[in-house]
Amino acid sequence: MSAVLALTERQVGASIRNLDLVFAVLVPVLTFIGFTVGLRNVIDTGGIAYPQYVLPAVVVQSMLFGALNTTDLVAHERASEFGVRLRTLPISVYAPMLARMSYCLIRGALAVAATFAVAYPFGFRMDGGPAWGVVFVALALTLTLALSLGAEAIGSRVKRLDTSSQLLLIPQLLLVLLSTGMAPVESFPTGVRPFVEHQPISQITETLRGVASGHVDGSNLVVTVAWCIGLLSAFGFVAVRGQGRRS
Amino acid sequence: MIEVDRVTKTFGPLPALREVSFSVPTGTVCGLLGHNGAGKTTIVKILSTLLEPTTGTATVAGFDVVADADQVRRSIGVTGQDAALDGALTGRENLVLFGRLRGMKRKQAAARAEELLESFDLVTAADRAVATYSGGMRRRIDIAVSLIVPPKVLFLDEPTTGLDPRSRRDVWTLVSSLAAQDVTVLLTTQYLEEADVLSDSIVILDAGRVVARGTAEELKRRMGHGYCQVTPLHPEDLVRVASALGGYEGLEVDAAANTVAVPAPRGVTTLAEVFRTLEELGVELMDISLRKPSLDEVFLHLTGPTLTV
Repeated sequence: MSAVLALTERQVGASIRNLDLVFAVLVPVLTFIGFTVGLRNVIDTGGIAYPQYVLPAVVVQSMLFGALNTTDLVAHERASEFGVRLRTLPISVYAPMLARMSYCLIRGALAVAATFAVAYPFGFRMDGGPAWGVVFVALALTLTLALSLGAEAIGSRVKRLDTSSQLLLIPQLLLVLLSTGMAPVESFPTGVRPFVEHQPISQITETLRGVASGHVDGSNLVVTVAWCIGLLSAFGFVAVRGQGRRS
Repeated sequence: MIEVDRVTKTFGPLPALREVSFSVPTGTVCGLLGHNGAGKTTIVKILSTLLEPTTGTATVAGFDVVADADQVRRSIGVTGQDAALDGALTGRENLVLFGRLRGMKRKQAAARAEELLESFDLVTAADRAVATYSGGMRRRIDIAVSLIVPPKVLFLDEPTTGLDPRSRRDVWTLVSSLAAQDVTVLLTTQYLEEADVLSDSIVILDAGRVVARGTAEELKRRMGHGYCQVTPLHPEDLVRVASALGGYEGLEVDAAANTVAVPAPRGVTTLAEVFRTLEELGVELMDISLRKPSLDEVFLHLTGPTLTV
C-alpha cells in the first residue's frame, strides 16, 4: 500500500509539471463556458436552463478527455525503463496500476470540482441538495474509474506509442456530439435519434442531470449503473490481465 | 550467490539462450561478455525475474528465480542499459521514491538518499531534474538508486555503454568498491577491457551459448602462450632478423609495423634466446618484449569475426 501511495504522489507531482492536472481543470471550465455562452439561446432544452442542462455532459466529456491522456500515460510508463525497473522491485505487480487509478480519481475529482465552481455563477444548482451532490460525485468518479481502467487496458497493450489516444479521439467526440448531453433528442435528425437516445453517454448524462435535480428516472439509472458495472468489470478484467511482470 | 543451471530460453521458435550454466561466488564480479544479441540482457532479465526460463533453473542469493521470485526481488538491485528513473524528478526525489517503494519511511529514505548522494559525488546536482544530468551522472544516480537498500546481488546491464572515458573510469571505481563490500555483481559488457579490469570471472556468450568461462588470466592462457616480439631499430634489418629466427615455428613478420614475432612457450627463457641470437647477429634493436594474448584476441578467437568493438 505504501508503494501505491509513493507512486500516486509521484504521479500527481509529475502531472502538475507536465500540465495534465492543469488541463484536467481547464478543459471542463472552458468547455462549460464555451457551450453555455455559445448555445444557451440556441438550443431549446424545454423548461430547464442551459447551464443546468449541459453540466453533466461537460463532466462526462472531461472524464473521457482524462481517460485519453491516461492511455498515453499508461503506454509510456509500461514501455519505459522506469516501468521495467518497477517490475524488478519487491512490490505488488498491480501497484503501478493502482497508483495510476488513484491519480485518475484525484484528477476526476478536481475536474468535477472545477466544473461546479465555474457553473455556479452561471446559475447551476444542485437542486436535490447535498445528499444528491454526493451521489452525483460518486457516479462521476465511478465513470472515471471505468474509463481509466479502459485506458489502462488499451495503454498496456498498445505497441505503438503516441498514436493510441489520437485514434480514440474520434469515437470519443462522436459519442459526445451525438448524445443528449448538449441538446435534447428532438433536435437531432430522425435517422440518428434511436442511437442518440440509447447510447451510454446520453443515458449517463440524463442520469446525472436527474441526480442534480433530485429526480432520477428509474430506467435511466438502471441503464447507467449497468454500463458502469459492465465497463468496470470488462475493462478491469483486461487491465488486470495486462499487468504481467514478464515483458 | 548466482547459480545458473542449464538455462534455455526460446522466444517463439527462436532460441535466445541454449543450456547456459555458470555461477558467481559471493562478493565477486562476473563479467558477461558478448556482442549484441548474444543473450546477455536475456540472462539479466531472467535473473531479475522479468522473464522465466523456458527450461533449466537459476538461483539468486539462494532463491529460485521462478518459485521464490519475490525473495529474489528483495535481494537484488538492477541497473538497466538506459536510465530507469523518472527524468522529471530530481536525483534526490528519485532516491527517496525508490527508498519508499522498498518500504522505507520517508525520513529514513531521505537520510539514505543523502548518504548515497555524498558517496556518489552528486550532492551539487541533487536537486536538479535527472533529465538534465550528463550521461555519467545519470549512470551514477541510476546505480545509486539500485543501492538504496543494499542489495546482495547487483545487476549492471552495460553500465558504461555510451560514456566518455572519464565517466567510464568513475563507474569502474564504483563497481570495484561494491565488490569490496561483499556485493555480488553481474555486469554485462561489450567492452573486453572492461571485463578484464573489473571481473573476477568472465563468461563469454555467443549466440546464446556459453563459449568460455574462467578468469581473464585463464582465458588468455587457454589461447596458448604469449609471444616474443622484436622491433629492429633499422627497418632494413627486418629480413635479417626474420631469417635469423627462422627456426621458430609460427614466426610472423609484420613489415608494416616493422616487427617479428615468435611464440614464446617458455616465456622469459625464449625471450633471452631470441635476444642472444640477435646480439650475435649484431642487429640493433628498438624494442624486444614478451606479449600475452589480449582478451580481444581470445574473444575474437572464440566468437568469430562479427564482433563490433
